Formats: sequence, structure tokens, C-alpha cells
Amino acid sequence: MGAISQSDMNLVGSHCGVSIGEDGPSQMGLEDLALFRAVPTATVFYPSDAVSTERAVELAANTKGICYIRTSRPETAIIYDSDTVFKVGEAKIVRESAQDKVLLIGAGITLHEALAAADDLQKKGVSARVLDPFTVKPLDERAVREHARAAGGRVVVVEDHYQAGGLGEAVLSALAAERDVVVRHLCVRSVPRSGAPAQLVDAFGLSARHVAAAAQELLQL
Amino acid sequence: MKGDKNVNIQALKDMANKLRIDSIVATNASKSGHPTSCASMAEIMSVLFFHTMRYKISAPRDPSSDRFILSKGHAAPILYAAWAEAGLFPVEDLKNLRKFESDLEGHPTPRLSFIDVGTGSLGQGLAVAAGMAYVGKYFDQTPYRVYCLVGDGEAAEGSIWEALHFASHYKLDNLVVIFDVNRLGQSEPTSLQHQMDVYDARLKAFGFHSLVVDGHDVSELIKAFDEAATVTGKPTAVIAKTYKGKGFPNIEDKENWHGKALGAEGEKIIKHLQAQITDGGVSLSARAPTADAPRVHLRDVTLSAPPAYERAQRVATRLAYGTALRKLADTNMRVIALDGDTKNSTFSDKLRNAYPERYVECFIAEQTLVGVAMGAACRQRAIVFASTFAAFFTRTFDQVTSSTSSTSTTSPTSPT
Repeated sequence: MGAISQSDMNLVGSHCGVSIGEDGPSQMGLEDLALFRAVPTATVFYPSDAVSTERAVELAANTKGICYIRTSRPETAIIYDSDTVFKVGEAKIVRESAQDKVLLIGAGITLHEALAAADDLQKKGVSARVLDPFTVKPLDERAVREHARAAGGRVVVVEDHYQAGGLGEAVLSALAAERDVVVRHLCVRSVPRSGAPAQLVDAFGLSARHVAAAAQELLQL
Repeated sequence: MKGDKNVNIQALKDMANKLRIDSIVATNASKSGHPTSCASMAEIMSVLFFHTMRYKISAPRDPSSDRFILSKGHAAPILYAAWAEAGLFPVEDLKNLRKFESDLEGHPTPRLSFIDVGTGSLGQGLAVAAGMAYVGKYFDQTPYRVYCLVGDGEAAEGSIWEALHFASHYKLDNLVVIFDVNRLGQSEPTSLQHQMDVYDARLKAFGFHSLVVDGHDVSELIKAFDEAATVTGKPTAVIAKTYKGKGFPNIEDKENWHGKALGAEGEKIIKHLQAQITDGGVSLSARAPTADAPRVHLRDVTLSAPPAYERAQRVATRLAYGTALRKLADTNMRVIALDGDTKNSTFSDKLRNAYPERYVECFIAEQTLVGVAMGAACRQRAIVFASTFAAFFTRTFDQVTSSTSSTSTTSPTSPT
């Protein structure tokens, strides 16, 4: 006795968050990250473009234990070159400079909002670093800490998910023992409603302007 | 098919009582457990493990073997007793039931070499069994059979009826569901008690070949399982009328004995059971599988082509999922997809369009979707992707957490 089996099951949840739009809250996955992050043996992928999604699927097929892949409904830009190599638990820095004053963390559609916010901030003379976690569990905690410090200890994390148990709380856990780091967590804080995807993303505080505003607030501290 | 005259009926009766005694001894040693829930299924276990099922003691999870899923996981002691009496480990070890140092846990987990999936959260075993049977019938195309024992208490779970619907729709004639209708739940009698005709009508309405039997009659059980093996095009339900605590004087068919070790009563009851055994040294062995399941290779799966996008493109990640799924399926015959009638939204239909035989529609029954996925992945038979809207996985959280007691306690590792 004693041999332990490994059930390799891959679950894929589409239509996450308010960004599905018109169908309304009954169709929006807003607790799924909390659910799968709570499971000790789970790996949780939250890819942000088509290239990383394809690699997430390939990695999931080869990863032991339960894998969850969170996919999104809206069309989003391609971020990565086709030959980019992805690993479980390895974040990607999609924008950086030596002058970065704030770290923006997003995934799925909110990574694109973070990139747009970084553009806005740049116009105002503020350089922002942008991190794509790729897997929310395991989160690349080392990268989160390292880049939070490199960006002056200012972090904005934005997710299309309720407050509890998602990417934001994963980031907060990673930074819990860091001195001199402050975090603003943008997420869906009330029960959503029907509307156009972009309208909802903005109304629930996840759009680029909210991300940029949160970064500016941190710079005032 | 062996004729009844070749079967030592008395030996199977004796084995059933030995399994009862083992269950009492184990639960008395741990001062907890469910001996009365074991007693109602003693003849069923004796017939399955020492007459009907084909399996290997040398390799309890051999892919060619018949599968047994104990959906009512609280009857673990009698399942452990069956494997011990079949020779997998010393019967004496059963006294370590529920001890921290032992893998003979209160409810079955795959820490044990002979358990595929953790059970105990009731209502889940049948969807897993259906996933195994689907793989056996349509992918392995090997004559191993799947037996799932369901308690009558847990038959109130909706997930049982979802799974029955699935099994019937896919004509899983290699699946036998045994309902242990012992009349009593935990805190009171079940809703239907011994209304066998109601169970029978419901199972027939769900498209099963349904048989009502005396669950304590070894000959009737043998006949029922033999008949099940001849049925084609539909799964079989063996609805066994049983008594909770069967063979335990003053406890049989009485309320308030659920989940209680027999304590001081145990010794008297063991003597009573021993008196009915004609051959105390009865020893029966497992029959070997009749055919080998195909060898499959599930490691180092790759996309058939790298991602191919231009920077100017805008692509939803759900669409990229479908594209990648199909590309994985190009390179490995055992990549399969399941969905809950959302395939044209999740884009799992990309696999279906390319390889329709490797797509399993689970309809709008997400608990079954995840249960079938777990079953299909067991014994390293397939690489399973199950998709639906993220929101609808919330109702499968029970299955998801059970799948973790079906996996290693170590962290998942990334491929090398």
C-alpha cells in the first residue's frame, strides 16, 4: 500500500468576470479563482493573450494534479512572440525601465488595462512596470517581491474577479512580510449587472483610467 | 460464463460473514466507523470480489482490470476487508483502520494502492464510474467492467441522477450500478425505505436494465451480475433489498446504529456470525482479467504547431484555448475534451470538429462533467480537458475538492 495516484484533470472556465458584458452576473465567473486557489493540489493558469493561452494548455496537459485555466470572452491584443517560453510559476515582465515608480499587475483582460494605464502614466512622466503572473497558483512570489521593490514599493493589482481569494489577495499574501510596500487592489466589489463589456470594466473600476488613478494616488503617499 | 453448479455458494456465504466480522473487528479497534453500513453489503462484496470481478492482486490498479467504486465511502472497512481477504495485505492490518500511521483511512483515498478516487462526500462515485466505463467502452474498447455501489441514502443526491442520465445516454453496458437499499439513513429512514418498485420504475425510466434482488442472497446476486454481463446497449442497475446491520442480532434493521462501532456487543455478534460459517478457513481468490487494455502514452504532450499570431491580431483567450486543444489532440490520440453544452462558447468544439470521437458531450450537468472527467483520467487512460463557463464550476466544487483527495498531497510539478 501507499502508492499515491495522480488524477490529471484539466478544467477550463471561460466567460470570467464582468467583461463578458450583456449576459449579466449569473453568467460571470467572479469566484472561480478563489475556488481553485483554495485547492491544495491545483495549478491555476490565467493567461492574458492567445500565445500564452496555447502554452498554458500545453503545460496543463503535462502537469500533475488538477489544473484550472481561466479564459476570457473579449478579444485582446497579442502580447508575446510565438516562440516565448512559459513555465508554471514564472511571471513575465511585459514592460519595464530603470525609472519605474510603480508596479502594475493584471491578468486576462486587466493586463491589457494595465498596459494602457502604463501608456497614460508615461505621458504624465511616470514610468510603470507591468507584470503578467501567467499562473495565479503557484504565483511567482519572488518576481512580485523583486519587482515591487524595484518599482519603489508601489503596487497596483487589478483583476476581473471579486475581492476575496483572487489574484489581488495572492499578491497581498506574497507581499505580507515586505517592509515599505503599499498595494492598491482593484477588483469587482459589488454584484455586477448587464451592460457592454467596456462599460462594465470601467463602471466596476477595472479600466485603464482607474489603474492609472490608483497609481497616481500611491505616488502621492 | 460459468454455470452456477461450478460456484461454491457456501464459500461465498462464508466469505460474506467473514467480511462482516472483519468490519466489526476493524471498527471496534478504531472505536469508530460504520459496521452496520458494511453489513448490508457483505454478500454483494463477497460475490463481486470472489466471483464476478476480474482483477489482479499483484496490480490493484491495472488498467485491464474491472473497477469497483464505493460511492458510499463510509463503508470503507468492508472494502478494505475484501482486499485483505483476497490477499493484498494481512487481514490483521485491518485493525489499523483510521489510525494516523495507516493508509486505511476513515473513508477511502488513493493513498491506498487499490483506490482510484476518494469517496465519502456522497453522491459522487457514479459519475466517476461512468467516466471509467466511457473510456473502457469507447477508447480502450477492452472488456473490463465497472461496478459502482451506491447507498440508498445518497440516492437522494441530484448528482446520482445526473450520472444515471449520462450512463444511459451513452449506452454504457459495461457499467453496473448496485443500489444498496438498506432502508436506513444516518438520522432516520430514507425517503423511499424499501419501496423497491419505486426504485425499479425510476431506473427503468432512466433507461437502465433494472433488476430487483434480495441483496443477501448470494445466488440471486450471482445471477444478476451474470445477466448484467449479457445486456447490450444499456447499463444495468442491481437494486438490492438489504438490511442495515444484517446479521447483527438486535441491531439489524434498527435505527440509531449508523456510524457506531459495536463495542462490547461486538464479541457476541462475532460469535454469532462465526457460528454460521461452515468453513472458517475459507479462502477465495480473484479471477484474472480476460484481455489487456491497450498501452497508452500520456507524457510529453506537445502542440502540433507553435502559436501563430501576428502582433496586430486581436484574439480571445477562449478561442486560443480551442485552437491549442485541437493542436494537442493532433499529437496524442488520448487527448479528449468534455463540455457541458457550451462547446461553441468555450471553443472546445475545435477538438470536436477535428476528432468527433474524442469529444464527450456531458450536457448541462456540470457535476457529472467533472465527475466523468475524474473517472476518465483514472489509471492514466486519457488526458482530459473539461470546459464550461467559469461561473458554472462553482457547483462542482465538491467534485473538485474530492479530486484532491484523489491526488498526491505533494505540490503539482511542472513538466521537465
